[in-house]
Amino acid sequence: MSTVTEVTTIDAFNQHRSSLPASTLLVLNFHTPWAAPCAQMATVLATLASSFPATSPPTVSFLSINAEELPDISEDFDVTAVPFLVLLRDGNVLETVSGSDASKVRDAIERHAGAGADGAGKTQLPPLQQVTPRAAAEPAPTTNGATKDLSGYAPTANDPATAPAMTDPAQSSKEELFARLTELVKAAPVMLFMKGSPSAPQCGFSRQLVGLLRENSVRYGFFNILADDDVRQGLKEFADWPTFPQLWVGGELVGGLDIVKEEFANDPDFLKDYSVKASA
Amino acid sequence: MTSSLTPVEDIIKSRVSSAFSPTSLEIFNDSHLHSHHKAMQGSTSKETHFRVMITSEAFKGKPQPARHRMVYALLQDEMSRDGGIHALQLRTRTPEEEQKQLERERGA
Repeated sequence: MSTVTEVTTIDAFNQHRSSLPASTLLVLNFHTPWAAPCAQMATVLATLASSFPATSPPTVSFLSINAEELPDISEDFDVTAVPFLVLLRDGNVLETVSGSDASKVRDAIERHAGAGADGAGKTQLPPLQQVTPRAAAEPAPTTNGATKDLSGYAPTANDPATAPAMTDPAQSSKEELFARLTELVKAAPVMLFMKGSPSAPQCGFSRQLVGLLRENSVRYGFFNILADDDVRQGLKEFADWPTFPQLWVGGELVGGLDIVKEEFANDPDFLKDYSVKASA
Repeated sequence: MTSSLTPVEDIIKSRVSSAFSPTSLEIFNDSHLHSHHKAMQGSTSKETHFRVMITSEAFKGKPQPARHRMVYALLQDEMSRDGGIHALQLRTRTPEEEQKQLERERGA
């Protein structure tokens, strides 16, 4: 499964670009470490990346670039606000996404990732979900006064409503956490919230569930709840489910290890829609 | 008066029994299998991981997640307190489903 690579020098960036075939979709994530929405985008992107099998050469390559440390690259791509996503193929900018709306990001990437040169063996993607932004009005961005002035990045009336954008983390209300979780459970058609990661599970039940999904060639995204206590505690309440791992399909909770085991045993078509078709 | 060595297991048994009047109830304490795990460092409890198999009509017509939630609701306080139940594996079947499964296993 693919991961997001942090690029720290202009040379490394150019080298990476030239090493990729022209058909590879290059996803550039411009971020800064101090902006909260960037942390959210990083999570969404890592989750998305994990659902793409790592092929050689890669069909999709995810790069993360610190916009402040590499201003030249940021200028090349006209980056004026973060987080900012640029989708490139063969040197052409296909699309850009501003802000950290998970559905928009996923939509853009999957639309272009599917158009790769190699049509054979491509996974069938489930139909895109219609996502309606939360009805709750976005609070007027407050200038934080304390350290940095983020008002330049404040969402305008034209931007879609995103999850906790400008508020001080200490003020993040439960409503905002739940809005974030609503996006997170839809970050991939099949989402696994587990302890650890598929390559390094930190719990026996999580490990078993990963194995089960692998045996059935299911393509899924994952989130390590040990890395984020807000999500860990929040999701228990959001899902009305006290334990992990949790498997979500199409934004709905299916259950934990025991339920998934039974589903596979009783239903031969369980998650068939999400399997990675074997490519020669 | 002797006090039980397995207070948590007793609670599980009594609450599940009165709530679901199960035709079959099995409780396995798997805590010893996990006592060396990092998450269990510093824990003195011997009742942290359970496997509970319940067969009851009360589950009829309900999807699995709903059934599990019924059990979680019963044991919410035990699961949320410090040193309480850390993991709960559940098998929730109706008598019909149990019967069908046995037949399948016999036939296999």
